[in-house]
Amino acid sequence: MSSTKSVVISCAGIGSRLGLGLTKALVKINGESLIAHQLRLFKNVEDLRIVVGFQANEIIEEVLRYRSDVTFIFNHHYFETKTGASFYLGAKHANNFIIEWDGDLLVHPDDVNKILSVEDEFICYSDITSDDAVYVKTDEYGYVTEFSRKEGDFEWTGPACINKKHLFYCTQNVYNMFEPYLPMKGIKIRAYDIDTYDDYLRVSEIVKSWKLW
Amino acid sequence: MKFLFDLDGTVSSEETLPIIASHFNIEDQITALTMETVKGNIPFIESFIRRVNILGTYSVTEIAELLNHVNVYPLITDFIKTHKKECIIVTGNLECWCQKLTSRFDCESYFSQCIVEDDKVIKLTSILRKEQIVDKYRALGETIVFIGDGNNDLEAMRHADISIATGLTHRPARSLYAIADYIIFNEKALCRQLNQLL
Repeated sequence: MSSTKSVVISCAGIGSRLGLGLTKALVKINGESLIAHQLRLFKNVEDLRIVVGFQANEIIEEVLRYRSDVTFIFNHHYFETKTGASFYLGAKHANNFIIEWDGDLLVHPDDVNKILSVEDEFICYSDITSDDAVYVKTDEYGYVTEFSRKEGDFEWTGPACINKKHLFYCTQNVYNMFEPYLPMKGIKIRAYDIDTYDDYLRVSEIVKSWKLW
Repeated sequence: MKFLFDLDGTVSSEETLPIIASHFNIEDQITALTMETVKGNIPFIESFIRRVNILGTYSVTEIAELLNHVNVYPLITDFIKTHKKECIIVTGNLECWCQKLTSRFDCESYFSQCIVEDDKVIKLTSILRKEQIVDKYRALGETIVFIGDGNNDLEAMRHADISIATGLTHRPARSLYAIADYIIFNEKALCRQLNQLL
């Protein structure tokens, strides 16, 4: 992977909808924390940046069990802000191209390698699986033309990659940061985020076949 | 842009106080004082004054020579030397003890001050408040990055534009978790971030 690229994992949220009393990065999927799994996927990423807020110390200690050369960024306003703010904080002093990655996202390992090798801005999407999704509309070339709360061809899951010059502060969702730059190259991947306890059970089953553990 | 570095445990890879204490066989005295300070039972300023009262009776030349041989982080040292006009060492320790050590970095440095007579510290004249150095350079229009690991770096980090808590030698003081922008536990990662900020 290019050393001019950074990966920002946003792990600042409180995970309230999941109802396990844990920030999602610490949730165990088939016996291993979600953040431990992501660290393995990004073992060749030099500039790995993790945004922390709720349970920051616990996440930091969990990460340090596996790797010490991570840059941790605090989002002290994690309760009042959404993923857009965490991504901005994690990205503003990073390399020129920055990949945003939600801490609650599981992506098939083969797709992760594909994503990390892309040398440009992009937005990833997957088949629709969530009830409460943000949808993306695409054109005939697979470019993302619109995000929508109502309807679309695919589900927005992230990750996405942005050039630092396009970065701006946003307290809302990370996809709002990409809206001004649409249409943007789209990449279809196998990805699942964990918002609710049902998601958690479903994803735990799906990833068993991924041979991750 | 100015990078202000705490010295002990941030640029130096070993804490200086235990080295001095061990050399003069006063570990029990110094350890007791350190423990009470870390617990918050003795405020930092009082602890520093008590420390100077203990160590001031020993040879200034000998302490300065001891500190001159303290190990420092090589990559951080390279960064400071390469960007010596942008880098500043800010330490609460006495100039007479640390000046020889900090001269190795070839950058501007700020210390606490005292009067020395007959190679002994006879009077403490000023205790450095690191946040005042941050304020001084901010007033000149500089963007300040403060890098430190101790509770005595807290106010300076709060006043700085960008604060980096480091856990290179030991875990950073927990109080810094509430105000730091970054927390970094690895020398290479710290230098990468410093270069990204340039």
